[in-house]
Amino acid sequence: MEYCGYTGIILDIDLSEGVILKKELPVELAQKYLGGIGFNSAILYRELPPGIDPLGPENILVFSTGPLVGSTVPTASRTEASALSPATGLFGTANSGNYWGGELKFAGYDALIIRGRAQKPVFIWINDSSISIIPAESLWGKDSWEAIEAIQKELGNPDIQVASIGRAGENRVRYACIENGPYDAWARTGLGAVMGSKNLKAVAVRGTGAIKVARPSEFASTVKNTYSAMTGSPFYGPFSKFGTMLASTPYHEFESLPGRNYQQGSPDGWLETRTRKQLGKLSRRGVSCIACPIACAHWVQVKEGKYKDLSLKDMEVTPVIGFGAGCDIQELPAIASLSGACQRLGLDMVSASACVAFTMEMYQKGIINREDLGFELPWGDEEGALRLLEMIAARQGLGSVLAEGTRQAAEKFPGAKNFATHVRGLECMLADPRGRWSTWTFGYITNIRGGDHLRTRNPVENLKFNDNPIPYRTEKFGLSDQVYDGLDMPKELKRAAFDPDTRDVNIPIMSMWSENLITIFNSLGICIRPPLLHTLGPTLMAELLTHLTGIDFSPEEIALGGERIWNTIKLFNIKHGERPEQADYPPRFYETRPDGKQGLDPRAVKATLSEYYAARGWDPETGAPTPGKLKDLGIEEV
Amino acid sequence: MSKEILVKPSLCTGCSTCSLACSLQNRGEFRPSLAYVRIARKEFEGLFEITFSSGCRGCCACARSCPSGALKIIELA
Repeated sequence: MEYCGYTGIILDIDLSEGVILKKELPVELAQKYLGGIGFNSAILYRELPPGIDPLGPENILVFSTGPLVGSTVPTASRTEASALSPATGLFGTANSGNYWGGELKFAGYDALIIRGRAQKPVFIWINDSSISIIPAESLWGKDSWEAIEAIQKELGNPDIQVASIGRAGENRVRYACIENGPYDAWARTGLGAVMGSKNLKAVAVRGTGAIKVARPSEFASTVKNTYSAMTGSPFYGPFSKFGTMLASTPYHEFESLPGRNYQQGSPDGWLETRTRKQLGKLSRRGVSCIACPIACAHWVQVKEGKYKDLSLKDMEVTPVIGFGAGCDIQELPAIASLSGACQRLGLDMVSASACVAFTMEMYQKGIINREDLGFELPWGDEEGALRLLEMIAARQGLGSVLAEGTRQAAEKFPGAKNFATHVRGLECMLADPRGRWSTWTFGYITNIRGGDHLRTRNPVENLKFNDNPIPYRTEKFGLSDQVYDGLDMPKELKRAAFDPDTRDVNIPIMSMWSENLITIFNSLGICIRPPLLHTLGPTLMAELLTHLTGIDFSPEEIALGGERIWNTIKLFNIKHGERPEQADYPPRFYETRPDGKQGLDPRAVKATLSEYYAARGWDPETGAPTPGKLKDLGIEEV
Repeated sequence: MSKEILVKPSLCTGCSTCSLACSLQNRGEFRPSLAYVRIARKEFEGLFEITFSSGCRGCCACARSCPSGALKIIELA
């Protein structure tokens, strides 16, 4: 079949056998599973048997771009990487932008499947239609920045995009990430360790080919409408200027920061040190992923002090909350340097900062001491934090225990279990649900990858309100009619998701919809940043996809696709041993915080969860998709 | 009245929408490698170079799509 939008080819590489296959993309896969995370869910659910070792050669790592990637649709830069996760033992998955996915598409591939294990370290070089597996023993041991520079030099082209692992991935740290270029990453769920277990240091890509467009003028016109909708959003200007750092001050006001490993909701001195105001001193320009007009990432240049001359991309709120609040490290340049260390070592910043915060609390409580570590580790000590990150990446001393993640590390230290803040083995390190209860924080327990903040999010979240005491079932809307009317979601669901009088948001229903919506974004290859998340829904997506690919997609099919993919991943998780009781918060969130913030009510949490399961058409007790639901979605159980 | 493109590389964020739009306008497909405007990325410096090739016929699809202000259409009297 002659494809438009899609390239129509899946590249399938077995590193054990050295076999490289180019397979045709089945059109049914495109129609039912869209692309990106959808392709990954279908492939991994079908191919991975239960009981395998995530770090064994039988695990499969898949990178899938979205059909919109490589086009002018705003933010269409995203690629989803997935495998059985060494952190959770369940569906491991992460999404990243930058330019790598665009290059893969222009090289001629929608997806890349990597199987087996090379006998010695290698890297894969995808140069349009020419594919090579190249020895990489000289790269093993290099950090990801060094590896990228060495590969670009060896291949003689600085435009080559490189996905690589650092020492953490080589040493199979269970939350090692895959770096996407020097500063971006497929960060969560330990996919870098999977790559390391395959002796695969990097995947370098250069593409000079074409992505065909079925109806160029109609497509260009729909892109224009999408662009106007996005730039007309009230979130667009501020988000473009400040990026995710917009959230820093509100979360301090809500007393919802994870200060000192969730012991303080509003760390002292926060507003004077770790907000967008201080960011302005370090960064004056944004950097984009391919096709993105928002440019939310900031180029940081430190001009004075201890970190003078530090220069890198990425001053997102994630390291500021993780290291800044979680570990109470107070200065943005110090946080930027730790962010850079994670990029070089190849560590997921969320889990890495959570592990450092967890260790600092063990130190605070005397569970470990200077002799165990070789140095002091008080709150706020950036040098100690850096030493610990290096020990984790190298699996040296105590670092080897912490490299297993907080769930396993807590087993080794009596008394530490109560403050290991993970869900299903994946660390949470953002908002404290005791300070702000919302669709977002409820999503920690419903989403398919564990304690995560990026897969469940009310697209019209309002950071002006915070309900206290926690209402559990609802969050306030409070935005304009323009925002409400512009929210493109299935009509019946929209009626059910908002109270007819107050427009309060029903959290169980909105959680379900936002998970499906974000899944669609992660399948089509577009970014979930708020200016887009609340303006782009199935109607515009169907128009874009139909004009680009020439395949007729209806808004209903797109919405159903998101639900089908989420259900497929849920089935994957059940197949790989997820238990109903794992849909729960860590013990700490049920306790009253030292600053007086009350713990969550377990009965109310459970009742909200049951409502969510009912909204999904899942068994209200076990949270498993029912046979009727699977039939409606056209999913065959494996 | 003729049009020119004003180029300010310091404003470029590297999104390459100009290359994508150029190839769609002039070739009917997305293919930045054959676009008349190219963005070279210096990724370790976060800087970008904008180059026009001699085949450019001045359709301005690049400048019309540029979101950062690095490429701007100016009308000459």
